[in-house]
Amino acid sequence: MASYAARRRYSTFIMGLCLTATGIGVVWLFLILFSLLVNGIPGLTFAVFTEMTPPPGEHGGGLLNAIFGSLLMTIIGVGIGAPIGILAGTYLAEYGRHSKITPVIRFINDILLSAPSIIIGLFVYGAVVVPMRSFSAVAGSIALAVIVIPVVVRTTEDMLLLVPNTLREAASALGLPRSFVIRRVAYRAARAGLITGVLLAVARVGGETAPLLFTVLSNQFWSVNLVKPMANLPVTINNFINNPDANWKQLAWTGALLITAAVLSLNITARFFGASKDGR
Amino acid sequence: MTDHTVRAYDDELMEIGRKITEMGGIAETMLANAIQSLVKGDTDLAQRVIATDPKLDVLEREIEEKAILTIARRQPMAIDLRALVSAIRIANDLERIGDLAKNVGKRVVAIDGQFAPQKIVGGVIHISDLALDRLHRVLDAYAHRDVEAAMSVWNQDEEIDQLYNSLFRELLTYMMEDPRNIGFCAHLLFSAKNIERIGDHATNIAETIKYLVTGETVVTDRPRAADGYAPLQTP
Amino acid sequence: MLEKISVKNLKFFYGANMALKGINIPLYANKVTAFIGPSGCGKSTLLRVLNRMYDLYPGQHAEGEVVFDGRNILNSGEDLNLLRARIGMVFQKPTPFPMTIYDNIAFGLKLYENLSKSELDGRVEDALKRAALWNEVKDKLGANGLSLSGGQQQRLCIARTVAIKPEVILFDEPCSALDPISTAKIEELIDELKAEYTIAIVTHNMQQAARVSEYTAFMYLGDLVEFDETSKIFTTPTDPRTQDYITGRFG
Repeated sequence: MASYAARRRYSTFIMGLCLTATGIGVVWLFLILFSLLVNGIPGLTFAVFTEMTPPPGEHGGGLLNAIFGSLLMTIIGVGIGAPIGILAGTYLAEYGRHSKITPVIRFINDILLSAPSIIIGLFVYGAVVVPMRSFSAVAGSIALAVIVIPVVVRTTEDMLLLVPNTLREAASALGLPRSFVIRRVAYRAARAGLITGVLLAVARVGGETAPLLFTVLSNQFWSVNLVKPMANLPVTINNFINNPDANWKQLAWTGALLITAAVLSLNITARFFGASKDGR
Repeated sequence: MTDHTVRAYDDELMEIGRKITEMGGIAETMLANAIQSLVKGDTDLAQRVIATDPKLDVLEREIEEKAILTIARRQPMAIDLRALVSAIRIANDLERIGDLAKNVGKRVVAIDGQFAPQKIVGGVIHISDLALDRLHRVLDAYAHRDVEAAMSVWNQDEEIDQLYNSLFRELLTYMMEDPRNIGFCAHLLFSAKNIERIGDHATNIAETIKYLVTGETVVTDRPRAADGYAPLQTP
Repeated sequence: MLEKISVKNLKFFYGANMALKGINIPLYANKVTAFIGPSGCGKSTLLRVLNRMYDLYPGQHAEGEVVFDGRNILNSGEDLNLLRARIGMVFQKPTPFPMTIYDNIAFGLKLYENLSKSELDGRVEDALKRAALWNEVKDKLGANGLSLSGGQQQRLCIARTVAIKPEVILFDEPCSALDPISTAKIEELIDELKAEYTIAIVTHNMQQAARVSEYTAFMYLGDLVEFDETSKIFTTPTDPRTQDYITGRFG
């Protein structure tokens, strides 16, 4: 057996490697944030939130239509995906816990969870855009919903499985029906986790570009028509950043900063909910 | 019986058992010596009997303390609980037996020098032998947890009672015959009473043994001779 | 004496594994029956058959009869929710629901009975009083049930069970997670509750069984070894296995 001093040296060495690896990971994050801040802040004016995206070559303008479009599609996407995900997750964790198809469903859900979002975009393009003969906000929302579902299924199932069985037994022992036990006791106990799951799903789809490219395209103008193409931040950024126009480039950076800030704050909020559950 | 999971528990119970055996031995010797001293008028031996008594007191206290401590510490159940309760009861009986033997010793010291006709002492010797026999057998029964042996002691106590009653009459007769005998006979009477009481304690121990082994208490009354203080027919 | 529940030749299986091997035992009305025995002897399993808690899990089934008020509750047509409302259960770990103290009790009541607000208040107060918790919580009924101490939580669970007026209460090691003072309070409570309810209690604490029960059953390896009056079991048990177990001589 190695001496104490030798083991200590070895431990220090491994610890050093770990810290270096962590440092490399964190450094990129900070570099990204730093470049976003440096490039995005100069364009962060009030007009960004009040004016439409400008045509090329013009000064001024903002991102209002894109921000609105992103918010609307995210809300619709999560509005469709979250309830489906929660119901499916509930089935897996409660009714189907001992069923043979549950592991199969879970496996398929995990595949969907890790599927590249561009493939989901292509699927919705084929399934919705082509039959409708038009890019549309609806198609974009559906694509986002498809991304939301597996995330929410997974977190819902995990969170419900964390609810101790003794709590379910205690509720059942009072003669409460199964559905009542799930809605009034299990959901309540897992509430913080369920909210966290939905918030994480929102954060996940908030920055998605690929599925929107094939489904909503974008729109230079203000539009609330759900069956027409609609402006949105990710695709707008994608379009503007590749253009030599300096004004567009600046707006793209600012839009990227906004998305990042939104996703970051959502993540932090989700963390906060998760933590408040543990700290109970 | 199998051992306890906690070995120290077995040790505690065994130590209490050992101390009871030790007390039994001492009590038996005290009684034998007290009778011996009475028969031979040996005041030295009587003094030794008296000097032995505190040993029993100490042992009884130790047994009681150990038993209480074990009850507090182990919360004994069933056979163990009965063993501890029995130990306390038997130790108490043995301590009383020691006291009674000591009293006999004191009588011997008090009688010292007085006229001692052998025929008067004879009855007392007889009752003493019976008491000694009962004590010996009941202690054996305890050592072997033998209910039958214990109950045979219990059933025979009547004999001692009857013997005491007739001895009472006999001594009374001597006292009436010759007033000079009164002092001596009174001492003998008290000694006989003490020895009869020892027989009672032996039956108590027999009852305790039955409780210890079966968990049942003896409910029926012991066969008993007519009361020693029954009206006498004066000759 | 009235048998509130009669268990007749009850066999219980976890899959193919037989956990109860033909149990016959009565639960007498308004008496406390204690179940003791080493871990895995089947005593908790037996308790979970009595309110068919095992139905929550697949692969478990019971054979034989459990007669409760003249009906075999093992029948497949039995209304389990109604059965469980009549045979309440208190668990090893206190399990307050993640809601207010008031709601913990009102919750089940609201489902079963149509009560006005004032009736509901009355029933909640009554249940808390029966569980000897009222004085400690009357000023904070709106506080979360989880903010109570372990012993209080367990009494809250008892109040919750009592509130829906069951006829039988099953206690599954109710004090194993509690300190001695809380344990004493629960035991006192059990003693009071038996005036109105038939009680069965599983416990690993033999002194507790000796203290609270009138009847005691000793189980071992899925068999009922001995069932008798508690005073008999703890002083002069008949079966040597019972004697060995209660005196701490088990291998």
